[in-house]
Amino acid sequence: MAYVATRGGERAIEQSERLFREDLDAVDLDRVTAIRKSLPYLIDRVMGEASLYEPDLAALALAQAGGDQYEAVLLLRAYRTTQPRIGFAKPVRQPDLFTVRRISAAFKDIPGGQLLGPTLDYSHRLLQVGVLKGKAFAREPVIPADKPAPATQPSLTAWQKAQGLITDHPVETIPLEEVPDITRQPLLFPVSRAHKLQSLARADTGGTMALGFSTMRGYGAVHPTVNELRLAEAPVRLRHPRGTVFSAGRVRVSQAEIVSKSKSLELGFSATLGWNEVKVIAAASLDVASSQPDTHPAATEEFILYHTEPVEGSGFCLHFKLPHYVTFQSALDTYRRVKTDRDGAVEKAPPAPKVAPKKKEVTQ
Amino acid sequence: MTEKPVRDLIAGGFDHRRALEILASARPAAIKACAEKVLDGLGEVAVLANRTGLAMLPYEDTVRGTTFHLGEVLVAEAHIQVPGRDVEGYGAVVGRDLEHAMGMAVIDAAIAADQSISPILELLIAESAHQQRTDRERLRKVEATRVEMETF
Repeated sequence: MAYVATRGGERAIEQSERLFREDLDAVDLDRVTAIRKSLPYLIDRVMGEASLYEPDLAALALAQAGGDQYEAVLLLRAYRTTQPRIGFAKPVRQPDLFTVRRISAAFKDIPGGQLLGPTLDYSHRLLQVGVLKGKAFAREPVIPADKPAPATQPSLTAWQKAQGLITDHPVETIPLEEVPDITRQPLLFPVSRAHKLQSLARADTGGTMALGFSTMRGYGAVHPTVNELRLAEAPVRLRHPRGTVFSAGRVRVSQAEIVSKSKSLELGFSATLGWNEVKVIAAASLDVASSQPDTHPAATEEFILYHTEPVEGSGFCLHFKLPHYVTFQSALDTYRRVKTDRDGAVEKAPPAPKVAPKKKEVTQ
Repeated sequence: MTEKPVRDLIAGGFDHRRALEILASARPAAIKACAEKVLDGLGEVAVLANRTGLAMLPYEDTVRGTTFHLGEVLVAEAHIQVPGRDVEGYGAVVGRDLEHAMGMAVIDAAIAADQSISPILELLIAESAHQQRTDRERLRKVEATRVEMETF
């Protein structure tokens, strides 16, 4: 593909940005705060795909982009490049998670029980049109239980491993600094599991859902059931210069384990920054689908990970609207030349011999 | 950094880790007010760092135990030195609040210098109680969503 630098149109470009912003309301602190408070699940989605956790910045990105999620993710990814990496937090493990939602669709009675947490799963989806007539949508307060739920919950797979239901794979312990990181290394295939899970964690929600859905419908050999779905807050544990490890605060995370009941119980896993259930369910399904031998081409690791990267995907789609004059002109020249050559060939060709029409045979 | 005896790192039953965690999750106004009080008695402070940066958050996969990078978290950190006391202080909080991180570093240095312990203890006790109460109230609401599934 060829590109060409274009000149001119500076005024038009400036005015076009002004026109874009004219259609938006003013971007100020109140607006950003309102977006952060009222749209936490959208904020989570953008932070997860940007792979950068900072709700205020995500809200600002959405406000600046007028709600265009890919622009917002791009803004956050760009901002990320301006920040130094100050270190690695300690790895998050299941006992660390301040859990507010934990359910299983595979097992009814799980150790620790099922906590629906904040969800609309079993609610009627009714648009509150009265709001448009000035009637506020009243939020009914939660009636709290007498006792609190346990702050942490055991991993369901730990119980299953103890029961001998699933394989307890040996854990490969490697120093944190050596954990593969796709922000520093290219994605190469066959992919390491650490790269795969990191790519899925920052993958595009819509793309992940589409590919996950395709495997669930039959373009893959897995029959997924949610083994465990969890929404939680994970501590960001840093090291003090004197060596004390402490939590500098919590961030919202979601994770899913998917069990496939094909030949034996096989599990897939996914987690992401923010609360985003459809993404982790789809991604965990893709994790297990892409681990199968001879899987469908659309469920291979390469297909999934290359095509669910939100900035590359949206960037590539959108770049086609930018000037491609040289490329297109070249194609047109080729078409014209081929047409001229073809027309010339027709003119130069000797006239076809006249063949007397066959007389119609009449049989009697 | 000069290593202080362990007893100096403990204030009123809060060990260093616990104190740092309470300070990091403290209400910003409370910690800033306390830091202002503490700063007066601490003497000259040199700021080594007061910036935002990224902390990569590793996560452990429950299926195969693989550690992978979930994503980066924006963190505000402050690192100060108090030459007159031969101590340093450090603070880090999730987010962009540099003043909160600085307030935390000032209080951390004061704990290490055994300076102004009384208002610090007051802050730690009040904020610890507030954080525990907030978590408890939230978990009582979570408990209200516990469901016993029946099969038919």
